[in-house]
Amino acid sequence: MAKSFVGRFSDSFRLPLKDALFLGFCAVFAVLVRVVLRLHLHISGHAMIIKIFFLMLGRGSTPCRYGASFTALLAGTAAMFLGFAKAGPLIIVKYLMAGVVIDLAAFFLPAMFGSYVLCALVAGVASSTKFFSAYAINALVGMDPVVNLQRSLLEAAGAITFGIAGGLMVPMVICRLKAYGVIR
Amino acid sequence: MLLALTLSCLAFVARTGVFLGALTAVNALVFLLLRPQGVSWWRQGRYFLFQSSIIVALYIIRFGSLAGIWDGLLISWQLFLAFWPSMVFAKTTSQAKIVRAMNRIMPSRMSFVLATCIKFAPHLLEEVQDIYEGQVLRGARILPRDLIKPWNWPDVVRCVIVPAVVQGMALAGNIALAARARDFGLYSKRTCWPGE
Repeated sequence: MAKSFVGRFSDSFRLPLKDALFLGFCAVFAVLVRVVLRLHLHISGHAMIIKIFFLMLGRGSTPCRYGASFTALLAGTAAMFLGFAKAGPLIIVKYLMAGVVIDLAAFFLPAMFGSYVLCALVAGVASSTKFFSAYAINALVGMDPVVNLQRSLLEAAGAITFGIAGGLMVPMVICRLKAYGVIR
Repeated sequence: MLLALTLSCLAFVARTGVFLGALTAVNALVFLLLRPQGVSWWRQGRYFLFQSSIIVALYIIRFGSLAGIWDGLLISWQLFLAFWPSMVFAKTTSQAKIVRAMNRIMPSRMSFVLATCIKFAPHLLEEVQDIYEGQVLRGARILPRDLIKPWNWPDVVRCVIVPAVVQGMALAGNIALAARARDFGLYSKRTCWPGE
């Protein structure tokens, strides 16, 4: 039943196979680049630079309205497949929250991929979803609310900083791709 | 997958040291039985120590005494047990088995996209590596020693990331063309070669 619902849902939002595959590459690279670059910095949120960059790239380089969410869904699933998901199935929710924020922002601000300020702003908001996921997980295990708030804020601060850095790379790439006529 | 999910969920409801101890024993038993490749005790322990030190420090700041140490350790132990089964599951289950399992809950088109992208990712990585080496030979300032200077960072975007994205789009187009030539998507139920 769940599969038929998802099938009907995906049929109603059918995406050309080429775009779907490109978003799939963005998703897989969002997971792989972190490993290839060996970014074991032990700085909270450093993975956000790659995550936000590829999610925004997925949305900005395809006409698909839910490109970032689709990329996020694939990236979360790929992270589980490839064994980089510390949080298990929750990794999908983590990616998806950032993806939905980017899609919503792109829906209301269609010109955002040409603006550094807007991209940085949206990247910051998308990265701040880390706060909610971290808070929810800690609350589930029964962490003291004050400590939970402090820890989640710490994690979110790092994520926002790196997320903005990732978001700032996007307009440069999108402008170049537009200049070369690769995307419209 | 079900065992990993059950063990993760149990870690969230475990509140006492005894329950957590029992759960740790079960997790350790599963870990020893499955013996995942590439997961070492040292790596697992390092992750636990790093996480615990932050949580315990925050608890000490919050309660102003050493009384928070036990509570902090309990929470970080719980968090570690919530994530550990998933790590073991991912390391011990083959990609084909996971794809087959996901195919039961995901649309076949989506699982095809994901499986294809994972399969072709090393190929695309090689192409990105070729682009990088070509740009280095052309004199682009993208060697690790050049990237210490932040003003060279835009060169990475211009010389490597943009061509890599174009290459990714071209590869996606070629795979889509090959799939269409094999009548991919003609039937709602995916068909495949027997035994695959």
